[in-house]
Amino acid sequence: ISVGDVIPDATLSYFDENDDLKTVSVHSIIAAKKAVLFAVPGAFTPTCSLKHVPGFIERSGELKSKGVEEILCISVNDPFVMKAWSKTFAGNEHVKFLADGSGLYTKSLGLQLDLTDKGLGIRSKRYALLVDDLKVTVANIEAGGEFTVSGPDDILKAL
Amino acid sequence: QASRNFASAAAGSNWISVASDASLQKARTWDDGVSSKFATTPIRDIFKDKKIVIFGLPGAFTGVCTSAHVPSYVRNIEKFKEKGVDSVICVSVNDPYVMNGWAEKLQAKDVIDFYGDFDGSFHKKLELTTDLSAALLGPRSQRWSAYVVDGDVKVLNVEKVPSEFQVSGGDVILGQI
Repeated sequence: ISVGDVIPDATLSYFDENDDLKTVSVHSIIAAKKAVLFAVPGAFTPTCSLKHVPGFIERSGELKSKGVEEILCISVNDPFVMKAWSKTFAGNEHVKFLADGSGLYTKSLGLQLDLTDKGLGIRSKRYALLVDDLKVTVANIEAGGEFTVSGPDDILKAL
Repeated sequence: QASRNFASAAAGSNWISVASDASLQKARTWDDGVSSKFATTPIRDIFKDKKIVIFGLPGAFTGVCTSAHVPSYVRNIEKFKEKGVDSVICVSVNDPYVMNGWAEKLQAKDVIDFYGDFDGSFHKKLELTTDLSAALLGPRSQRWSAYVVDGDVKVLNVEKVPSEFQVSGGDVILGQI
């Protein structure tokens, strides 16, 4: 995926506030809106849990004030794991945790990362995208699992 | 479904030979992974010369697994020890970091051992896999329990469907040892 592309559509899953398992199309959430999509290699792994996600939760108010209407956190994990993991972050009001359980969406973005030797299998690269009415305007993609360009600061700079 | 052939896993088979080139990953934090160079545990090391009670389930953080299956083993740990069981193991097709997060949530980490079969290879060797794509889980494990002595399967219980919890609980297998 690169700047200028129309972001592909796919079905992701999550548990709603009534604890019902739901699936949703990405386009239906972010069409005609400014959205941030960021992804992590794995729920319950440290950089993801300690730095990447909290950063977006903390700056979500700022992102919203600059016109971002949706902030989506995506990982190649099943929705049960995503739900349990999302609950470990206190005070999250805006970030939606969506499960790309089969990894198909991550594949369609061309952002797979092979972490088989870490016991994770095929996961997602760490990235943050700014998407405006389905058009990618910023694409910050880490080469591996490191955390240098994919945080909220670089997105805020672009807004 | 009633006459499924669990030839590879059946009582009488030896898992050290059936699953000889499979391995499992002990539940761990990422830091543990780094310091152990992401080591895996060969099946042989888990079962050789040991009396093991082991149970498998569809998914960490899912309903029956969390609320009923694991607790049925945790509450019986002393009784298992009294019968000479060396360890009680919970295994699932999840990565070892998710298993660790779940074991901590269940407050069971110091009671039973949690292992991840992250690519399903262990369960494939035992022919204990099932497709749970309809539940958005993908290829997973059946719900089962076994008593294994030096790799030999003495007892194997497999639920007819993974959502059931009739034969694979800790109370049942305790009575079968």
